[in-house]
Amino acid sequence: MQVLVGKRAFLTALFVFLFVIPWIANEYHTFVANLILLYVILSLGLNLLIGFAGQLALANAAMYGIGAYGTGLLMKHFGLPFWISAPGGVAIAVISGTLLALPALRLSGIYLALATLAFAQFTFWLMTHWTPVTFGAGGFIPPPIDFSPLPITQETGIYYLSWGAALVLYVFAKHAMESPIGRAFVAIRDGEVAAQALGIDLLKYKSLAFALSGFYAGVAGALYSGMLGFVGPESFDLLQMVLHKAAVVLGGMGSVIGSLIGGVLLTVLVELTKEFKFSIEVAFGGLLIVFVLFQPNGVIVFVRRLLPGWNERLHYVPPGKETEEDFGAVPETDPEAPAEPDDPAEVPATQPRGGGPV
Amino acid sequence: MTEAALRVRGVSIAFGGVSALDTVDVDFPPGEITGIIGPNGAGKTTLLNVICGMNPPDAGNVFLEERTITGLKPNRIAELGLRRTFQSSQLFAGMTVLENMMAGLHLMSSTGLVGAVLRSKRMRAEEEEMRERALTALDFVGFRHFANRAGDALSFGQQRIIEIARTLIHEPKVVLLDEPAVGLSVNRVAELDELLRRIRDERGVTLVMIEHVIRLVMGVSDRVVVLNSGRKIAEGLPETVRADPAVAEAYLGHQAES
Repeated sequence: MQVLVGKRAFLTALFVFLFVIPWIANEYHTFVANLILLYVILSLGLNLLIGFAGQLALANAAMYGIGAYGTGLLMKHFGLPFWISAPGGVAIAVISGTLLALPALRLSGIYLALATLAFAQFTFWLMTHWTPVTFGAGGFIPPPIDFSPLPITQETGIYYLSWGAALVLYVFAKHAMESPIGRAFVAIRDGEVAAQALGIDLLKYKSLAFALSGFYAGVAGALYSGMLGFVGPESFDLLQMVLHKAAVVLGGMGSVIGSLIGGVLLTVLVELTKEFKFSIEVAFGGLLIVFVLFQPNGVIVFVRRLLPGWNERLHYVPPGKETEEDFGAVPETDPEAPAEPDDPAEVPATQPRGGGPV
Repeated sequence: MTEAALRVRGVSIAFGGVSALDTVDVDFPPGEITGIIGPNGAGKTTLLNVICGMNPPDAGNVFLEERTITGLKPNRIAELGLRRTFQSSQLFAGMTVLENMMAGLHLMSSTGLVGAVLRSKRMRAEEEEMRERALTALDFVGFRHFANRAGDALSFGQQRIIEIARTLIHEPKVVLLDEPAVGLSVNRVAELDELLRRIRDERGVTLVMIEHVIRLVMGVSDRVVVLNSGRKIAEGLPETVRADPAVAEAYLGHQAES
């Protein structure tokens, strides 16, 4: 089978389509498209942390909320413009995210999940109960964002900001994961002890993974506050966490393009279930369980099976050098099937130095 | 004796009150293969864990080329030129063999997040160089053709050899091998024997090897250290150690404690 749809062609088509949406679609559909862009960003960021670096953290919705609250409250309390308060909100989310790396140095697996969940619940409690600062359970309306001198509305302005952010952050994640940073993340995920024995600094790379996911969630949160024109705690509860996790798992853990697909699919599914009046908690909890049990690597697995050009590589391979034949076939003296359990008797004698096929 | 590549001085460590190592002194001469043998529970793996920084000792010191490395984190010790393998295969399952080898060159990279994201010229040049070095290192063990295979798609024996190649990739001074021959067939053990000699003779790496396959240890080691119940009970040339009555007693269990 030839490559039917190239990855690049798909990405171009998707982003061009999303770019023209505000012109061709109604207000509701544009709003959904904006949500898609935010969930792409959220899913990319969470995948870096749980899919690549293997840190099972459940505080992504809290980071998202911190980004939204940080941005909105800086505008509301201090009268700062969006252009200053948004980076401020993102910075607060990055700092909180990085602090979460501290328990991750001692805890892993379910214990880390519990510690981060506790942090998320604490953040949620602050949003609901720290009324003088956060305006409590009722939420608040941040001041309108001024896009002048551009002749566009707040909705359109936020939409194109989200579009640009999603595109840039996609490329950012892809490049970072195809570098030594991506290898360090995956090494920590697949074997912390072995990674450390190769000189990989766990403190540095775990902090980086948490900081990056805080950054992505913070950016999405800042945009969300501008998009909705309202910030309230119920947007950042446990269900929100389930949605982020579902987007990552649906698309494919440890796949950057998978996160893009997962973010799109999840948002569309959420909107559909709303139309059919399903209980969204049951629907997405169930979806998450089905995928974790039967297709933990997400829909990207099917895509890769159909379209060979969609394989991802962790490391950067210079153009023109990405074919399998590059390394030579298994020598004819080696009749061994590599998937077999050990049968060393069939392995050829060690070849002389430099004698491997070139 | 000349300056040791690795020196263990008075190392003691206990776990929950049970002594695992008791004032152990060992010198590992540069460019030699030192075999560590001893009955189960003698403290062999604990000694490697202390040396590589995974378990800081309760007392005593470890010196790498006369520099103390006691209490440093494993990644710092790796930076100073010490690498190790483990009893079980530790290739990263989510990476190809080539990427596994490149992960072994992690410390070579000077690319930060910005350089990686912008795919700077320096980053690309570094990646290309790492790739070439990874392939050269695979050539050393004759496994270049496995470069694109997933790490866990190879046989156990092949994974062990690739792991050894990965420890060598960043020109270490000392490599610790924890039971490299475990689970290998007779033919494979012979290949391992040859590979270890080539590592010593062609790379000049100081090797420290825990091994239960006595034929391999006695054949390939320049010196042998015997541990029993956390204490060093014998040390010397393989023939000397083999003839030592204390060693025979430790193995045959004449008296459990030395």
